[in-house]
This record gives sequence, C-alpha cells and structure tokens, in this order.
Amino acid sequence: MARIELSGIQKRWGAAWGVRDVNIDIADEEFVVFLGPSGCGKTTTMRMIAGLEDPTEGDVRMDGQLMNDIDARDRDVAMVFQGYALYPNMTVYENIRFPLRMRGVPKEQHDDMVRRAAAMAELSDYLDRKPAALSGGQRQRAALARAIVREPQVFLMDEPLSNLDAKLRQAMRVQIKHIQRELKITTVYVTHDQIEAMTLADRIVIMQSGLIQQIGTPDEIYNNPANTFVAGFIGAPPMNLISGSLSGGTFTAEGVSVSGLRTDLSGRVTLGIRPEDCSLSETDAHLTGLVYGVEPTGDITYLTMKTGDKLFEVKAGRDFRAALDTPMSVAFDPDRICLFDFETGERLG
Amino acid sequence: MASVRRSRGESHFTRYLILGAWAFFCLAPVLWFLSIGLRPRVEIITPQPIYWPTFSLDAWHMIWEDWPMAKYLRNSVLAIIGSVLIDLVLAIPAAYSLSRYQYRGRDDIGFYILSTRMMAPAIVAIPIFFLFRNFGLLDTIWALMLIYAAINLSVVTWIIRSYMLDIPKELEDAARTDGASDLRILWEIIIPAILPGIITASVIAMIFAINEFLFTLLIASTPNAYTMSVALANFTGGSDGVIYNAIALVAFLAFLPVFLVVVAIQKHLSRGLTMGAVKG
Repeated sequence: MARIELSGIQKRWGAAWGVRDVNIDIADEEFVVFLGPSGCGKTTTMRMIAGLEDPTEGDVRMDGQLMNDIDARDRDVAMVFQGYALYPNMTVYENIRFPLRMRGVPKEQHDDMVRRAAAMAELSDYLDRKPAALSGGQRQRAALARAIVREPQVFLMDEPLSNLDAKLRQAMRVQIKHIQRELKITTVYVTHDQIEAMTLADRIVIMQSGLIQQIGTPDEIYNNPANTFVAGFIGAPPMNLISGSLSGGTFTAEGVSVSGLRTDLSGRVTLGIRPEDCSLSETDAHLTGLVYGVEPTGDITYLTMKTGDKLFEVKAGRDFRAALDTPMSVAFDPDRICLFDFETGERLG
Repeated sequence: MASVRRSRGESHFTRYLILGAWAFFCLAPVLWFLSIGLRPRVEIITPQPIYWPTFSLDAWHMIWEDWPMAKYLRNSVLAIIGSVLIDLVLAIPAAYSLSRYQYRGRDDIGFYILSTRMMAPAIVAIPIFFLFRNFGLLDTIWALMLIYAAINLSVVTWIIRSYMLDIPKELEDAARTDGASDLRILWEIIIPAILPGIITASVIAMIFAINEFLFTLLIASTPNAYTMSVALANFTGGSDGVIYNAIALVAFLAFLPVFLVVVAIQKHLSRGLTMGAVKG
C-alpha cells in the first residue's frame, strides 16, 4: 500500500515543543504503534502524517512523494478517532458511504463497498441506525468501517479503543489486527496502552516529551529496553529499577546483592529486573525484604516487597499468600538483568 | 415513609402553586388586552368598571375590513423572513470562520460584530435614512429586510458561533481525511449538527424584527411598507381617536405566533440566550 518516511520532523507552537526530531521509516503493510504517556507527541506525529498539522520542520513522505504541502483531503489516508467522530446526522450507512461520495467513487459501486466494509466490521444489522442509537463498541466498529471502506493507502488510528471497556477492547483489538492483515494496509496506531502496543504492533515507537525513546519489535522493546523510561513503561507491573553501585561484577544496594554479573563496568548504576524474572527463594537470594502487599488476580499473585524505603514487585504463583511484614527472599534470573547508566538512564553493555 | 411521601407531595403542590401564580401574573396583561380586543369600543372607554363584559368582534372586523391589515401582515412576514434568510446566509460562514480558523484579529472582529448591537439605534437612523433614499429603497420591503438583517446579524452570528464551538473538532478532522472540502464540511457536517442553534437564532431574530419600530417608521411612509408594529401606531391618532380594542387585538395577533414558537423551542432558546456564559 504505502511506505511512510518521517525525517527530521519537528513541531513547535511558539516556545512549546510538540515533537522533536522524529525520524522513522514505516514499511509498506507494516503495523506501527506509537506508544507513550499523554503529551508525548504521538498524536501530533500522527496528525502530521494525516495532514491535519503542518510540521514546523522536516519532511513527511509517502512512497517517496513529499506530502508536506498536500492537504489532508488529498492524502490517501483514513483515520479512526478516539471519540469515534461519526457524523451524528447520518445513519451508519451514510457515515460509511461519506468518504466514497467525497472521493468521487462512482455511485453504482457505493452500495457494494459499504456493505462489504460493514460486514467486515460486523455491522450489517445496524446500517439504518443513527450513531446515537449505537453502543460504544458498535460506534467504534462504524468508525472502523468508514475507514476501511475505500481501502486507503494508510490507516491512522488515534487511541481508537480507549473509550471501550476492557472486554470489548480485547475483542476489538483482535478485529483490528485481523482486518489490517487481511487488507494489508500500512497502519499507524497511537495508544498509551502498552498491552495494545505489544499485541498489535509489528514495531513499537516509544515516545516521551516529543522524542523517540526506542523503536523496535515488541520482543526487542520488552527484552532490551533502551533506557529506564522504556523499561519502566513496558510491562505490567513494570520493570523493577534499583539504584546501587557496581564493582567487580557485583551489584549492591540496600537489601540487594547480585554477584557474578558479566560486566567490566563499575560505579553508580541502575539495575533492572522484571517481576516475572524473579522467584521466591530461600537460597541464592539476591534481595531480601518484608511483604508489603499481596494481590491475587486468579492466575497469578502480585507480591510487593519493601526493602529499605523502596518497593519491589514480584510475580508469584497463583496460590502464593503471605502475611504483611513477613520476611522474604527473592532470586533474580541473572540472564534477564539489565544495567542502566545512573545519570542518563541509558542501557549499559 | 408516609410522612416523607406526604411532605414531598406538599412541596410539589407548593411549587406548582407558586409557579402558577407567577405564570398568571405574567400572562394577565396578555389576557387583559385580549379581552379588550374582543369587546365593543364603547365598553372600553366607559369610566365605570364592567364585571360582565360583552363579547364583540367589532375590532376584528375593523382591522381586516376597514384597515389593510392583511397587507401589513404580509409586509411583516416578508420583511422578517427575508431578513432572517439574509442573516443566516451571512452569519453561518462568519460564525464558522470565528469559531474554527485561527487568524490575527479574529477575536477583535468577533467583538466588533457584537458591538454593533451595543450602539443606540437613533445614532445611525439619519445616515441610514439618507443611504436608503439615495438607493431608492425608502418605503420598500427590501429596505426593511436589509435593516432588520443588519440589526440582528450580530446576535445571529454569536448564537450560531456558540453552537459551532460545541461541535467536536474531531468531526471536521474526520471529514477532512475522508476527502471533504471546507464548504462540504460546513454544509454536510456542521450545519446539520447545529440545526437547533440555527432555529434558535432565527426565532430570536424574528422576535427582534417583529418588535422593531424606529427604523420601520423611518423607512415606511405608506401602507406599501407598513408592518404590524407601525400599524399599531396608526390606531392611536386621527379623527377616530385612540382605538384601544383594535390596538389590543393587533398587538395580540403580533404576539401570539411568537409566543407559540417560543413555547415550542424554549429549551433551545434558553441555551441561545445564555450563549457564551460557559464557553467562548
């Protein structure tokens, strides 16, 4: 469908920065998710791809063609919005048909195209309804059908599932991924939900304060976070980050001692270990502390420990239970330990 | 529980009693002039109070048969509808621009439009008279349309603007990425979405226009361009003296359609009249 290149993209409003120096090459048919907290610049970047915002500097290209001066309505992109943005005065059928009318698609093709898109979004029974008479999930599917009806070169989705409940979100996630794979349309998806990012993306772009922090596949981002921000943003619960000192392959902090690390580095560092890479152990323990909280979820139990004045998360077995302030020892999987620069937060080694 | 229910019922009764009394207080003058309009003239000017009034359609026959009331009514309707249409044609794009585009001086332009409403009409009355005379528009319905439109344009623009500000920007962004031009967005998305606002603004403009007197008197010098409001004044002079029952009946006829429309759309109207109170 289309390859998207963003080179040196910046967006400023007076002295306020929206996006700083974004460079990314999105391959044809790729599903890329922009992930980050509110205000990180991910939606602004998407709006610049759509043509709804002009970059202050830098180029947006699609299939090599410079798009900076091309109006949003002349770019072959379709966008799904967080608030659905269905036209309230039109039925679902008219909503889905709207882009066909605007783009001058011959009238005799409209009905077939609308019904096909509605069928893909499982909306065939609701075509005569106005948006106000639809549930949240149906509205989102109507917005999706409107985006897919003319099979654009690029799909842009701006937090499309954030207004749905957890169960519906999971179902819609699967549906979006299935439709994207079926239509093979390059897709840029914006979210602050790491689960959405991990499950949908071919590649994830993590942003903070207008800057790209890391670009990689979900596995790369999860296993090899580029810095403490990424490490702390991905994972539920996020990676434990412990500040301490490193010397002769041994990391020490209050209540923590990890020896045998394969590194020549020394000095102040931050050690990162994911809760799922820790196990409760009486022998070979790396961390000792007191039980601060136990949260059973059915399939797993989250254990929060307190060591010194720091909290530490461990994923324990489903049957694990313990009283508060019970002393506990935890062992880390040495192959899963990450070290970060104490000052910059960047990954070491 | 029973006492709670009873006290709630009593509180409802008290509320309705107060509201009913207030409604009667407000509507009493209207009912009074309707009663004046439906009584013989002699009964109205008699100094003694009359407790059992006589029903009479004298005034009704007089205004339709002796006076060109149908013509005045037609003039009023044409001038008002024409002025509202002119207002909508000008105000909708203006409100769209004021609510959606970012440009230097936008807020100043918006305030300037509103400030035209703050001016005392008498200040511009003489220049407008000469202007219309030079264009040969005096004593025409066209002149009334233009002057009513000019008077109400600011209010109509601001009411429609306040409704447009409530339309989510996402709707326009969606339409734009769907391939719609600005005009198509305005016509197909914005206008249908703010239809209640357009109706509200139109009704408010109609109310102002039907009550307009100064400029109508200035521009209309013969029954060719007389409207209901000026016709009312014609019952107050001449050899027949003040014809109170005719005045009351014409006033009631001018009041009734506006009253019914206001009752029908009162929910939207209150929103239109409090425009800008929260947003914009």
